[in-house]
Amino acid sequence: MLKVVSVRLYTSLLVLVGTMVLVFCIVNVLPGDPALLILDPSSATPEMIANLREQLGLNQPFYERFGEYFLHVLQGNFGKSIVNSEPVLPKIVEHFPATLALTVLSSLIAVVIGVTLGVLSAIHRNRWIDIVARIVGLFGISMPTFWSGILLILIFSVQLGWFPAMGSDGFSTLVLPAITLGFVGSGFIVRMVRNSMLEVINEPFIVTLRAKGLPGRFIMYKHALRNALIPALTMVGVIIGDLMAGTVVIETVFSRQGIGRIIADAIMAKDLPVVQGVIFFSAIVYIVVNLLVDISYTLIDPRVRRTG
Amino acid sequence: MSKAYSKPAVWMKMVSLSLAVTLVLAGCSGGGGKSSTNAAGSSSSAAPAASAEQSSAPAQGGELSYALATSPDQLDPHRSGLAVAVRVIRTLYDTLVVQLPGGEIKPWLATEWSISEDGKSYTFKLRQDVKFQDGTPFNAEAVKYNFDRIIDPETKAANALALVRPYESSEVIDEYTVKLNLSEPSQAFLGNVSQALLSIVSPTAAKKDGDQFTKHPVGTGPFKFVKWDENSEIVVEKNPDYKWAPETVGQQGAPNLDKIIFKIVPEEATRIGSVQSGQVLAAETVPPQNILSLKNDANSQLYQANTVGLPYTLFINQSRAPWNELKARQALQLGINVEAIVKTLYLGTYEQAWSPLSPGIFGYDASLEGSVKPDIEKAKQLLDELGWKAGADGIREKDGKKLTLHYVDGSPNREKRNDIAAIVQQLKPLGIQVDVEITKDVATVVYANNNYDLYGNSQVNSDPNALYSIYHTTAPGARQNLPNLSDPELDKLLEDGATEQDQTKREAIYKEAQQLIINKAVIIPIYVFPYTVAASKKVQGLAFDSLGYPIFNDVYIAE
Repeated sequence: MLKVVSVRLYTSLLVLVGTMVLVFCIVNVLPGDPALLILDPSSATPEMIANLREQLGLNQPFYERFGEYFLHVLQGNFGKSIVNSEPVLPKIVEHFPATLALTVLSSLIAVVIGVTLGVLSAIHRNRWIDIVARIVGLFGISMPTFWSGILLILIFSVQLGWFPAMGSDGFSTLVLPAITLGFVGSGFIVRMVRNSMLEVINEPFIVTLRAKGLPGRFIMYKHALRNALIPALTMVGVIIGDLMAGTVVIETVFSRQGIGRIIADAIMAKDLPVVQGVIFFSAIVYIVVNLLVDISYTLIDPRVRRTG
Repeated sequence: MSKAYSKPAVWMKMVSLSLAVTLVLAGCSGGGGKSSTNAAGSSSSAAPAASAEQSSAPAQGGELSYALATSPDQLDPHRSGLAVAVRVIRTLYDTLVVQLPGGEIKPWLATEWSISEDGKSYTFKLRQDVKFQDGTPFNAEAVKYNFDRIIDPETKAANALALVRPYESSEVIDEYTVKLNLSEPSQAFLGNVSQALLSIVSPTAAKKDGDQFTKHPVGTGPFKFVKWDENSEIVVEKNPDYKWAPETVGQQGAPNLDKIIFKIVPEEATRIGSVQSGQVLAAETVPPQNILSLKNDANSQLYQANTVGLPYTLFINQSRAPWNELKARQALQLGINVEAIVKTLYLGTYEQAWSPLSPGIFGYDASLEGSVKPDIEKAKQLLDELGWKAGADGIREKDGKKLTLHYVDGSPNREKRNDIAAIVQQLKPLGIQVDVEITKDVATVVYANNNYDLYGNSQVNSDPNALYSIYHTTAPGARQNLPNLSDPELDKLLEDGATEQDQTKREAIYKEAQQLIINKAVIIPIYVFPYTVAASKKVQGLAFDSLGYPIFNDVYIAE
């Protein structure tokens, strides 16, 4: 088990360095001069452009800039915003809890709806509940969140007045965005759980259990579900990443604070250090989540422990 | 997340399907939904609004929640580059003078002023009863500090730097008299001094906070800064000591409202939704389809003010053939149906523009309205005269070259400008091949590579001198102006207009310049951008300054 974890840690570190290189390249491989991209071309003076190039370090050679960036990131220095000269990392840390709350709640919604519907639809295959579950799955996956979010606002804020349309103070403002986002994740999980559940149901060991005369419910929830959840668990790791990315749209639609909003604004303002910082920070979170998923995997499935 | 977006076909279907669902839902709730909104929201029926209009004295106190479309970049007026910041800046700071709609300049922090014979120095007498919100006295030193601060490179001033030009230095004559010296005479200077970006900031606070002044702004304005939660809200509260409002507002003393909470709500459906659900009292920048529906909404009202300056205009690049020829440009002028563009995209909620200037600015020539009408036949004839004959595919050719028009647009669909490009494809029946390029890198495509035939832009400004930077011949080596124009006759007019002190003569000069620009088909004016606010009926007294920015001094909440 220790070996499994250390191998995972090692690969995670590699991924982290790879991300750093990619994030750095965002600025340096982009076509056009970042300084000109940032400043308003119709009013920027040559001095302003020169100053910004200096500030972005565009005058130094590539490897020097990368080395400097690498060292700074190691020290937790993600640079300063071009727009308001605020340091990037503290800003991300300040806004991360809001995004975390949204991601966690929407993941919960996704898992609860997804697993319940997935299991029910596999057990009652081709019955009405299966059809409902498949439709929910299809809708969850295919509806763009910016649109379903606005639909929820129209119904539950404007028409019914149950939940606020926007803001980020208090639980009530979290409900609509979490449902919007959780719905997307549930779509993936429904399909995943249904498929793996169907597979497991037909495996020889289930048939054996049935032959032994164990009650059907017991077989389904104790043996089949446990096996079916393993691939779904991996999926949850991926989905949490997807949901975090989804906060970029959701936080903008519902006008919430959070790092998704920070990056959306930074992209609009062409604030490259902030864009870099948020991407890198999200990558770290994503890597950590997947590491945790991998480790919990070994707890659920004894086979992984042995083959490591 | 991207999975949903990568299949446009699927989600397009979903969108249309769900749109149908929404319409049905909306239809069903026509009776029941309305009443539930009334029951849930505070008792906002038509009756209190009506009685509020009858009562004479505006209600005191209360909070106005006001949804902004984007987050301000800076609350330091000298460093801000975004129009949205001005909505907040106007509540925190005052300027030396104020401009009336139409261009006339009136006193504000300055009681009177005189201009030297050579037009190069302005002497301002200042009010003696003004204090900054942090207690710093307002005086000649403070004014000198402010103007010097804008031209100091350390400040990293943005748009304010362009406005303050040709300011050079200040002299403190006595405690309440200051003289501003210019490097050359400028008739636009006084109008610029009235603009929010040349607001007077507290020298004490600005020196103390440096780069972070923008997060702790201090001015002399009717409201004081309370807090700025990034991406969430900016809160300002009543400045109880305020008693130096300009004559453009009714309330000379402190404002009626206790507080304004500017909420930042970028998604327009959410913004309008939060007004309709009562979560905020007002929201800016209403999309055209909502403008129409709000006009029929019993619970809300619509405020609309046209912005002033240069309207949204398509510039024809004269450095590239065949657009250097008058007849070719005239063909575009007659071939592009601007009225159709404005009606289709903006559902008639935006006014069509006719001149290089927008209505409401000093010198605007109203006689140009309706002067250019689409005329396809005339346009075809003009192209024929130039020798461009229709080829096999319907595209005109001359000397083996096809007649093409490269349309460049840089805005990420701000105000649907991208869609104008699609409509300009109307030119195809004329035999012109239109290539549309949507790019963020306008700096390279337009300004560095000069690779465009048609490019659109607009500008909020207080003085017709704004024409100078767009149409005057540029100095050798400097960056070309947008239409790549060099017209000695127009140059002379723009130079005279910048310095002419006789207002009647100055007005005539600018009218002539506008006519010349239209007659020589330098541009195709498209629309005048209106600043729109959707508000609850309870919100009374919202006004707009000469540029179309909201003024909150007189706002009160009618219960």
